[in-house]
Amino acid sequence: MYRFFLSQRYIRMRPINWIGTLSIFVAVSALILILAIMSGFLEKSREHLRGHLSDLVIAPSFDIPLNSNGQTPPRAAGPILEAVRAHPSVQAAAAQMVWFGMLVPPRGETVLSDPSGMGMVMVSFVGVDIPDEYGATSLRKDLEIKVENGLPGQRPENLDDPFAYPKDYERDPDERPLDCILMGERLAANWGLRKGDQVELATATLDPDTGSFRQAANRTVVLAGTYRSTFNEMDLSRIYMKREALADWLGRHGQYSQLVVKLRDYERDWVQTKADLRQELGQRGLIHPSPKTYTPGDFGWEIQTWEDSRHSMLAAIENERALLGIMLGLVLLVAGFGVFAILSMMVSEKRRDIGILSALGATPKGILTLFLSIGGLEALVGAFLGVVMGVYAAHNINDFELWLSSTFGIQIFDRKVYYFDHIPTVIEWGGIVLIAVAAVGTALVAAAIPALRAAYLNPVDALRYE
Amino acid sequence: MSDPAPLIRARGIRRSYAVGDRTLEILHGVDLDLYPGERLCLMGASGTGKTTLLNILGLLDRPTAGSVHIEGRDGWSLSVAERAELRNQRMGYVFQFYHLFAELNAVENAVLPAMIHHGAMAYMSHRKEYRDRALDLLTRFGLAERLKHRPGKLSGGEQQRVAIARALLLNPPILIADEPTGNLDRATGEKVLELLFAEQERRGLGLLLVTHDDSLAERCDRVIYMEDGLIRGQRVLRSVGGSTDSPELPSGEATAPA
Repeated sequence: MYRFFLSQRYIRMRPINWIGTLSIFVAVSALILILAIMSGFLEKSREHLRGHLSDLVIAPSFDIPLNSNGQTPPRAAGPILEAVRAHPSVQAAAAQMVWFGMLVPPRGETVLSDPSGMGMVMVSFVGVDIPDEYGATSLRKDLEIKVENGLPGQRPENLDDPFAYPKDYERDPDERPLDCILMGERLAANWGLRKGDQVELATATLDPDTGSFRQAANRTVVLAGTYRSTFNEMDLSRIYMKREALADWLGRHGQYSQLVVKLRDYERDWVQTKADLRQELGQRGLIHPSPKTYTPGDFGWEIQTWEDSRHSMLAAIENERALLGIMLGLVLLVAGFGVFAILSMMVSEKRRDIGILSALGATPKGILTLFLSIGGLEALVGAFLGVVMGVYAAHNINDFELWLSSTFGIQIFDRKVYYFDHIPTVIEWGGIVLIAVAAVGTALVAAAIPALRAAYLNPVDALRYE
Repeated sequence: MSDPAPLIRARGIRRSYAVGDRTLEILHGVDLDLYPGERLCLMGASGTGKTTLLNILGLLDRPTAGSVHIEGRDGWSLSVAERAELRNQRMGYVFQFYHLFAELNAVENAVLPAMIHHGAMAYMSHRKEYRDRALDLLTRFGLAERLKHRPGKLSGGEQQRVAIARALLLNPPILIADEPTGNLDRATGEKVLELLFAEQERRGLGLLLVTHDDSLAERCDRVIYMEDGLIRGQRVLRSVGGSTDSPELPSGEATAPA
């Protein structure tokens, strides 16, 4: 009984003991806040990395023969789309045509954002089929963006037909009908383009006879709207148009470059689906036959998951998590040292009490438990308050940041640097429990050293101490 | 008539300490018995080993050689936990400097031995009984108005009375007091002694008392004189039980090594 009674009395009566609690409190709340913000940033980075990418991308190498007969994968999208959609795990699939080209500035004006200073920006043209594309990628969501960051929202008027002419576009009845395009919001803003403006695109196509590039005629198109994905770089370089329009421009009717595939449950099914499709499509001669040995997570070469295509950057994120863990461990170590220091001081101050307890019949084990209880109680109170404070701070970090910047003019979070407009936080309860348990564990280990010293103190020496 | 069994029987107690590379012997072989109801006084100049002997008899300090039997059990051959139990149940301590817990009030200090004896659940079920016992002792010691006071708010005499109440709480048969009035003025010391002796007589305790005070020694049943780690002789003032003439305890000269 005395262990609990004395430990709580010592803590209550001696304010200096609260320093141990305070160090655990500060460490736990700081760790939870750091974890929430880091997880938020990591999650955003993952989303950002994923950007427009669909779950799976199937890109056959059309120029490499499938077999000794010299047969190559079919250039039409129909058969492969049908085969892919037949797989039970596939929710949607769409054909895309991807080609490279340039955006030509109107009337040769200098474009400030163009780092090359040549007045032209390299872009990729993505020919898509609506509504297939909506089912397989995030394009529809990307077109639905609201007005933020002072950029004008220029969503197409009818999302069911995003490549229709804008309402106020005045079409010259004598002119050949122009195709419509969608471009990234930031690219449009950099170029000062508004919905309904005409834009000139240029590209090079392959000469079907020689296989070498030849200049294609420039094409003037109409900006039908803008989109915003979470991957800034993509928004600056991707221009969407109808697949048939792009094919027509390039002189390759009915062709496709890749299939984008959305799975019903990516996390659950990707390994199996990737393997099934490699086998199925390989057998049908729609892609190249798969190698005999297949290991999950292998990059493949014609079927890739979005994670395969972002492998190195995702690995960097995982590295950050590991570094975060080490950093958090160090913070806990410092908090544990706080408990150790306070308890060591206490054992020195309480030598006489330890001697009296021995004389009154306390065992070394009892005295050990007494001082461990003090460390444990301090840690429990500190960890509990730390969890409350940490979660509260993580929930309200943006208000706090706003208050700091409006009151003191201190800007912690520069919205211009990131592609999101608030500090992202994710409350991971598993992580929080782990932090609290680790804090209490560290405090107990730190308390064990002075507690052992107290337990094995010679009572005669302790009583002599005045 | 056969002698009653002694509460404490110590034989051949030696205690030495290593000081640098040489050994300093404090006790050179001491025999001592304490009988039930006996008021035994240990006298001697400072540094003669009185407190060392008291710590050994109280099972706080292990002798280099010799044995201490408490009610027939060899105290230094018991386990740590058994020895702690013996200290808790069979002995009460009163120290010169009271040694109360500054964080606890008078009642809480007095019930501490019971808290040490019981686990949390057992103590809570006996809590009232122990509190009543402590309140009764403290009230009888004239501390009825000071029950909630912490040691810092109590005078030296009051603190020592709380310490005596603590020592008596679990009704131990042995009471060990190391200069209980050494830190008090004469008048206060006298009152504390009256109280201590009254309780000793009422309960028939074996009291082992260390003092420098000759007048205090006069009020004991037997006085043992120590000098240089040896018992130099004893005076029997009143015979109590088996200690009459103390045949098994020869004078200091007889037990001193050559």
